[in-house]
Amino acid sequence: MCQAVPMPDFSSSVKLKYVKLGYQYLVNNFLSLLLIPIMAIIVVELLRIGPEEILNVWNSLHFDLIQVLCSSFFVIFISTVYFMSKPRTVYLVDYSCYKPPVTCRVPFATFMEHSRLILKDSPKSVEFQMRILERSGLGEETCLPPAIHYIPPTPTMEEARSEAQMVIFTALDDLFKKTGLLPKDIDILIVNCSLFSPTPSLSAMVINKYKLRSNIKSFNLSGMGCSAGLISVDLARDLLQVHPNSNAVIVSTEIITPNYYKGNERAMLLPNCLFRMGSAAILMSNRRSDRWRAKYKLCHLVRTHRGADDKSYYCVYEQEDKEGKIGINLCKDLMAIAGEALKANITTIGPLVLPASEQLLFLLSLIGRKIFNLKWKPYIPDFKLAFEHFCIHAGGRAVIDELQKNLQLSGEHVEASRMTLHRFGNTSSSSLWYELCYIETKGRMRRGDRVWQIAFGSGFKCNSAVWKCNRTIKTPKDGPWSDCIDRYPVFIPEVVKL
Amino acid sequence: MGRSQERGQGQGPIYNMRLSTVGAARPTETGATHEPTGLDLAIKLHYLKAAYIYMPEMARDLTVKHVKDAMFTLFDHIAWTTGRLWRRDSGRPYIKCNDCGARFVEGECNFTVEEWLSKPDRSADEFLVYHRPVGPELPFSPLIYVQMTRFKCGGLAFGLSWANIMGDSFSLHYAYSLWAKALLGEKIFAPETSTIERKNLNPNPTFKDPESIKRVDPVGDLWITPNNKKMSNYCFNLAIADKISPHFPANGDDQIPVFEILAGIIWKCIARVREEPEPVTVTIIRKDPNDQKPIRSIRNGQMISSVHVDFPVAEASVDELVRSIEKATDERSGIDEIGESCGGSLDFVVYGAKLTFVDLCEVDLYEAKVMGKSPESVYCNVEGIGDEGLVVVYAAAKSEERVVMMTLPEEEMERVKSEFKKFGLIAS
Repeated sequence: MCQAVPMPDFSSSVKLKYVKLGYQYLVNNFLSLLLIPIMAIIVVELLRIGPEEILNVWNSLHFDLIQVLCSSFFVIFISTVYFMSKPRTVYLVDYSCYKPPVTCRVPFATFMEHSRLILKDSPKSVEFQMRILERSGLGEETCLPPAIHYIPPTPTMEEARSEAQMVIFTALDDLFKKTGLLPKDIDILIVNCSLFSPTPSLSAMVINKYKLRSNIKSFNLSGMGCSAGLISVDLARDLLQVHPNSNAVIVSTEIITPNYYKGNERAMLLPNCLFRMGSAAILMSNRRSDRWRAKYKLCHLVRTHRGADDKSYYCVYEQEDKEGKIGINLCKDLMAIAGEALKANITTIGPLVLPASEQLLFLLSLIGRKIFNLKWKPYIPDFKLAFEHFCIHAGGRAVIDELQKNLQLSGEHVEASRMTLHRFGNTSSSSLWYELCYIETKGRMRRGDRVWQIAFGSGFKCNSAVWKCNRTIKTPKDGPWSDCIDRYPVFIPEVVKL
Repeated sequence: MGRSQERGQGQGPIYNMRLSTVGAARPTETGATHEPTGLDLAIKLHYLKAAYIYMPEMARDLTVKHVKDAMFTLFDHIAWTTGRLWRRDSGRPYIKCNDCGARFVEGECNFTVEEWLSKPDRSADEFLVYHRPVGPELPFSPLIYVQMTRFKCGGLAFGLSWANIMGDSFSLHYAYSLWAKALLGEKIFAPETSTIERKNLNPNPTFKDPESIKRVDPVGDLWITPNNKKMSNYCFNLAIADKISPHFPANGDDQIPVFEILAGIIWKCIARVREEPEPVTVTIIRKDPNDQKPIRSIRNGQMISSVHVDFPVAEASVDELVRSIEKATDERSGIDEIGESCGGSLDFVVYGAKLTFVDLCEVDLYEAKVMGKSPESVYCNVEGIGDEGLVVVYAAAKSEERVVMMTLPEEEMERVKSEFKKFGLIAS
């Protein structure tokens, strides 16, 4: 994995700080800086020649009608081709996150008591779950669906559908209210839910409930893990390039009910401790009329898939345990694999977002190491210069810690991720939206701010989205964070004694 | 807890039982605790039970979700009752307010409400109350169990099992009425009382050794009263005018002391059956007469008093017994001191240490309306009582009637019933 910055140790000195700033300013605005002396020379030259000379030069140019027509036609042609081939700007108009009812709340003590009753024959597994929960970074307000509250849980298909209806319809109702969108105006519908895929699909369920149009373009993505949220965004973006003047609704969720692991294999009990109920509904559009009210503009979306590597592929694997009970097995080197995937993703996204100063340093460091074989450590570009806000998928405390270390982010940068993990748990593909909502509810989102959403998922995938804030966002009054934002950020101890 | 909690397990005529947990809506601060008083610790082996039965007209539409939502609202105000018992290093139990929750049990019954209520012995209502004792692991034992039983006709029964360490019967019924209000969407309010406020309010404490408390063999962490005799229940209704008034000569007062008369009659009957030793001392548990304010909090505020007579009870007149009962001595401070001094390391019984009479006549059990209808029938009892027996008297659905719920040693029950028949309390 990437190591620390190779700079010698007087980086704490003030002088070097100013040198760094000066260097960044110089390289990032290189072209503008170059333009100034050129403009100066031209102005000086013009003044030297004098106005009559300029007029003489102008009159000596014979403007033929044909020449004028051809040149203007040429200019118009080039500009038309340019505007037509420019990719359509895709906007995120608004989104809404589901807030589970308080009656679904699972305090630590309740979770542990239920665990002891359900796994009464495996005290070691109960002990393991307790240790995981103590160190998980989750709070006392995370929620599980009603079926999982029973001793033992009753994960029937009917209960799973009922959970799906509850989380998806509530989020969509809220989205329609916020945006004023009429269900019959939806052109594209994408639903992603990794582990629950009934027939008819969840997207068909949405179409049935809201009586959507018969020519709607609907998609249902299943099995794609926690990074499926950004895969849906990518799909929506591609579709919005092909279909002019359209909008797309994305529903990202994970249905917990059918996936509660009923066995006692330790590596497979981990998801029971971390995954919680949640969902998000997002409205995206390429219409010009939405440009003024849209919250964000999608700048880049980079997908990296490491499935070709066997270790990455088997890292998060759904399988049956010795007793035939199905669960998700998480392998021990998950963090290392996540790091590798992140590195691959950064390599692609870096050139798209980093300022020239960082790219130059990276290039120089690369040349030095590869060509001249100098013993430098690889240079990690400073992504804090490229983004104001970071949304790291709240997959678990270890993931956030690892990314904070590797990208050298401060506590405030990862605050949204940590607090989302504390308040809502790991809500899988929708967690990025809860984190974004946290930043907005804290009043930190200003026009022009750039946000980086990073999601990891089984496969092993690392997907990134870069958004630019379109207008300063007022603190939402009725989001999932509105009633508790004043209590945040909270201090999350390393180990919570139960 | 060591008991099977599988889905589908039943108890008696109740089947298809499913267990879950309900708690408080808002998280309690980490580290909050609730300290039991000495009196609370002295009565820790007892559990209060109540069952409310509702006809199908209104109850049919009430779903589990409605009930649970209202429970969450209730427990928001009394979140400490959803905590669990832990022991300090000294061994003294306390309640850690960790929001663990109350156990919620759903069940079904193949009888209709009418069929169920047609049984003359109302102790069948025991099946409507899911009960497990505290222990063997204190930190994983709920203090409250709520059972919701759906009858074949759509009627409902709600059974509550409530550890006496938290509060008395009056608190239990108060909590239930708060829940019923929450179900209607009304705002509820239950202030937390500090440990000092919860202590004995008696202005004239007596300091002699209390008669109403008895030490039992250590029970460790499984809080079950050790009984030497097998106990059985019997529950019946009676009309005041027919059965009680004839025994008490009206002396011009408009208020006849119904509970005292009933207690006197039953005491006499039991004394006739139980000869060696004669029960010359009984315990009376009722609402504290000094506590004029209506019950507003969850605590053990009941008055525990003792009556001792020097004459043989079997031959005494009801009149004499009633007068003795009226002069009962409040023993709460003595019990509190005993409970406090041992700090929870010794185990006691109060209900059933001596023949105990509990007066719940002043509680309006029928005020807890669900969907606008009062309960058709209410049942009250205490679990974990001592060998001397217990009699609980409370109001029936009809205001001119009372319900008597008795728990006595099985060997005495039939003879006591025949004494009642002689007295005309129950039909032959």
